[in-house]
Amino acid sequence: MAEYFGSKVEDIFNTMPARFLPQGVAGVDVVIGYDISGEGGGRWTVTIRDATLVVAAVTELPKCSVVLISDAETFVGSALGKIDAAEAFGAGKIKFTGDITAVLNVLPKAFSPFKPVVRAGAIIESMPERFKPEKAEGVSLKIGYDLSGADGGAWTMVIKDQTCSLKQGLDSDCTVTMRMAADVFVGLNTGKIDPAAAFGGGQVKIDGDIMAAGTTAKLFGKFEVAGAQEKKGEELISLKCIPTINQRFATGTHMGKWFAGLKEKKIIGTRCPQCQRVMVPPSEVCAVCRVRTDEFVEVGPKATVCLIDTIYYASPDPLTGQVRATPYAGAYMVLDGGTPYESFAMEINPKDMDRIKPGMKVRPVWNTERSGTFTDLLYFEIDD
Amino acid sequence: MAKKQAPHAHKKNRNVGIVGIGQTEYSSHKEYQNQAEMINEGIRAALADAGLKLTDIDCVVHGNMELFEMVHQPDMWHELGTGAFGKPQFRITTGGTTGATLVCAADNLVASGMYDVVMVIGFEKLQEGHTTGGITNMADPLWFRHLQTGALTATTATRMISEFGEERAKKASMRYRIMMDKHACLNPRAHRRFGLEYDQMEDLMNTSPMLVGELRLIHMCSQSDGCCVMILASEERAKQITNKPVWIRDHITVHREENINIFGLKVPETTHHCAARKLYARNAITDPIAYFDVFEMYDPSSWWGLDWLREFFLLKGDEHITMLENGDWDMDGRLPLNPSGGVISTNPIGATAMLRPAEVALQIRGDAGQHQLRYEVRHGLASGFGGTFWTVLMMLEKELGW
Amino acid sequence: MKKVAICAVAQHKIEPDIWYKRFQGMLLEILEDIQSQTGFTFDEENGVHDIVTCSDDVFDARTISDNGMTDVVGAHYRGEEKMAQDGLNALGYAMSMILSGHDDVVYVAGHSKESQGESRNMATNLAYDPFYARCLGFDYLNAAGLQARAYMAKSKITDRQLAQVVVRARKWASRNPNANAREQLSLGDVMYSPMLCTPIRTRHAYPVSDGAVGLLLASEKRAHEFTDNPVWITGFGSCMDRYFLGDRDLASNFALKQASGRAYKMAGIKDPKKTVDVVELMDCYAYQQPMWLEGLGLADDGQGGAFIDASGPASYNVNLSGGHLAGTPLIIGGLYRAVEAVLQLKCKAGEHQAADAGCAVVQSTTGGAGQFHTVLVLEK
Repeated sequence: MAEYFGSKVEDIFNTMPARFLPQGVAGVDVVIGYDISGEGGGRWTVTIRDATLVVAAVTELPKCSVVLISDAETFVGSALGKIDAAEAFGAGKIKFTGDITAVLNVLPKAFSPFKPVVRAGAIIESMPERFKPEKAEGVSLKIGYDLSGADGGAWTMVIKDQTCSLKQGLDSDCTVTMRMAADVFVGLNTGKIDPAAAFGGGQVKIDGDIMAAGTTAKLFGKFEVAGAQEKKGEELISLKCIPTINQRFATGTHMGKWFAGLKEKKIIGTRCPQCQRVMVPPSEVCAVCRVRTDEFVEVGPKATVCLIDTIYYASPDPLTGQVRATPYAGAYMVLDGGTPYESFAMEINPKDMDRIKPGMKVRPVWNTERSGTFTDLLYFEIDD
Repeated sequence: MAKKQAPHAHKKNRNVGIVGIGQTEYSSHKEYQNQAEMINEGIRAALADAGLKLTDIDCVVHGNMELFEMVHQPDMWHELGTGAFGKPQFRITTGGTTGATLVCAADNLVASGMYDVVMVIGFEKLQEGHTTGGITNMADPLWFRHLQTGALTATTATRMISEFGEERAKKASMRYRIMMDKHACLNPRAHRRFGLEYDQMEDLMNTSPMLVGELRLIHMCSQSDGCCVMILASEERAKQITNKPVWIRDHITVHREENINIFGLKVPETTHHCAARKLYARNAITDPIAYFDVFEMYDPSSWWGLDWLREFFLLKGDEHITMLENGDWDMDGRLPLNPSGGVISTNPIGATAMLRPAEVALQIRGDAGQHQLRYEVRHGLASGFGGTFWTVLMMLEKELGW
Repeated sequence: MKKVAICAVAQHKIEPDIWYKRFQGMLLEILEDIQSQTGFTFDEENGVHDIVTCSDDVFDARTISDNGMTDVVGAHYRGEEKMAQDGLNALGYAMSMILSGHDDVVYVAGHSKESQGESRNMATNLAYDPFYARCLGFDYLNAAGLQARAYMAKSKITDRQLAQVVVRARKWASRNPNANAREQLSLGDVMYSPMLCTPIRTRHAYPVSDGAVGLLLASEKRAHEFTDNPVWITGFGSCMDRYFLGDRDLASNFALKQASGRAYKMAGIKDPKKTVDVVELMDCYAYQQPMWLEGLGLADDGQGGAFIDASGPASYNVNLSGGHLAGTPLIIGGLYRAVEAVLQLKCKAGEHQAADAGCAVVQSTTGGAGQFHTVLVLEK
């Protein structure tokens, strides 16, 4: 089965139950589909609901909240951090259909990072490299490994004349044969399973010369998990600090009138005595004419929409740091009584997001609680 | 070309040449160096390029967008890396245009006679701060900040689709994008190099996630960390320092009021258009496409980049798109655009606008490496963008005597 | 060398809390004041094409702090460049714009409200590197405290002499209608005021200040269009010292000596003691007045204390405006000092006018404990 960077596509899904973090998915209800092309690829669904996880391999993808489409190499590589996921995403090597926020917000909190699965076969096959000939003087042994279960197999290790060779299958004349499940073998070699518990608990059976079994340990260097090598480098320590300096902003005369107007459900602008344009919100000067503008006029309340922005990727709210729900829509509009080339920008009522079009008339929706602040004007909605 | 003395042409007190250019790599993983160290790397590169030492520098000019890294007066701390100890220094910050403004400032400082050799530093280390927070902070705290979507809007895409038709507009902006990526792939310094192919156009047009309307992820510039340093010198010193000085002929800055009120029923002249027509008029350039050999434009997205070609060259109708479709902006076209890959591929904000004249200068010197244009580059144009749709526009020349 | 003129200046009254105006309103008044004095316009042919502003992103709590000021400084469809260090540098830069030939006339405008943020010290703490000095809690106040200790020891400055500096500053501030802290103090009021950051007492420190300023600069050729009474910038110099306080000899005035040396050289001044008759310096804390006077070459090295005793500041007409000590916002401190020096040379300083003002030296500093200094020489 195809491997990429030492792992298989199915490893990512097979390890999901063990990597699942139920505490990170409170309130989440999603079905994420995966459509992975290439050798070793396939289709899977990952359902997270009521803090439980169901992972299933499927032939056809059902209706999903979102589907991730990628090729096997990119998928595995980015899961392992060998490929920059953001770059792959930007270059179109990882694609999504459906609500991308379901993935961006849920996945990082739902699972601990995927680490390469260590296979019994890889451990056995690394033994000749790890062999220490200086410790094998006068040693003549045949060790059989009979590992059951998925990723299992049978091997014979021949140690003679300070050399070590490995072959498939179990020889009939092994000095000692070790029998256990493949994942127990992996656990023992990666330090995840305590040998005393494994041997004492009957998970490991030894046929033949038990003493010989005991001496094999010192003949081989420790098995190193591939990722462990990187830990020897320097650890990146990252400290987050949020400096906060409270501010008291003055409104000045003109913005003071703006907010006072909002409280009264009025939209106030200033008119330039020279070019007659109405600036909303009010400005103390007309930038074009370079004259003071102190004539306050009420405009709107209705407006005509010129351009619409539908926002899928939101900036954080500067006051709370929260990211608002997307998508949401904003419109650039010309207020009634305003100037044709002076657009005013405001959010559109979420319920009108799908219907709003340029040319439509809109009206303001006011907060029932108004105190002369920027939350007094909620948004504009279609005037029908 | 007739050498008329055009009105308001920059009657320079003395000429100024670019004699050194240094850059760090641009990436989002520069955890291994702090800000002062990163700047120092850029400085060493520029000094090496010019064959100069710190003692040869008379004045340092420094700039970035300080609220991104949340360091107050960063030039003070950065003294550790800038080499400004014992020297005069200026710090000028104008948002996204900063890098270009710094070069304009250095040009003014050297042309004035106050300093002979000036080193200019533009940089950003966005990973050390909160970029979208920094951009949101650009808006008026009393109004608009709570509405802001940072620097993202699809208004240009919407307008172009309405003017040219959905298919043609979307294809053109995607073609622009892919062209920029191809250029970036020739530039080992570029941050994002995807290896896009034109046959991906349809696919990307429809599957790249939408950020705002038809402004998709693939169209939008990256956020990069890095530093660019340039050294400018008076004509006399420049000729001593290098046999390839690149002369700064003229520059213009055009700002506009903070209110983004330009999406109404009538659209006012853009600052890009205003800067271009004023700069060309005072330099007696009547056919800029014929005159310039290269244009490095500050293009934050492929929609804006495409739209602004019409503005910068005072074109009409769909001329800019037809030129794109004909390959006129390609590296072997009538007027090569962004052979470096432009801002979409590399965007270390405080340095981005400096990279534009830097890349033009490399082209004029013949030092751009793999993305070097294949013919002699004599007349270059570079633009900067930032703030509330501000423009800086600069002309660079291979020879004096314009 | 060709000269650049300061044609007109305007300043907003400095107050501890200008809550009733926005920056925009303040700067608009400044612009109108300068326009009424000079008649200058932003006309595409003959007017101002480029503007230099000065403000600070952290103090304004606004990215690109000049963003909101474009319309009130006349920069709509004109050029504008923001000086992000003390505003005196804006004058040096504007001078280079004119001497380069790029511009004939430049408008310079700065604003800041120290009252807007809850703490100036929290803002200046952010000037220190995030790994070491910031975590130690450094800000411009305690950095100054360390420098004050070193300087007072070197130049034999006593607490009483510092009090004399403050009392004198208040005396002059009361004659300056634009000054912030005008309350008259006795020596005892100052000497017995609590310690703010030893050895700096509360009364030694400049109060929280809000303000805005503007200046119009023009080439020698065009200055007469705007004023009959130009003040010439004859010298400009600046210099950066080391960042780490431990790398510096805090009492040495290294950067200021270099900066003033450069400015005097440009101005052709060989003996400032003989030539300078007005000084406007940026004394954020009382110890800085004698210290910067040493750096400017007007007091002898190490003789700051004796200089005060000999009424040195009075004889050089130092800070007749009340100086920074009477309160000026940090980032535009130098611009206010320049404005006051210009008023002196134009004989428009009213009740705080010096008798014979012909040559003024203006000084400002940026960074902790005077890491960076800027000096301007102005002459009639």
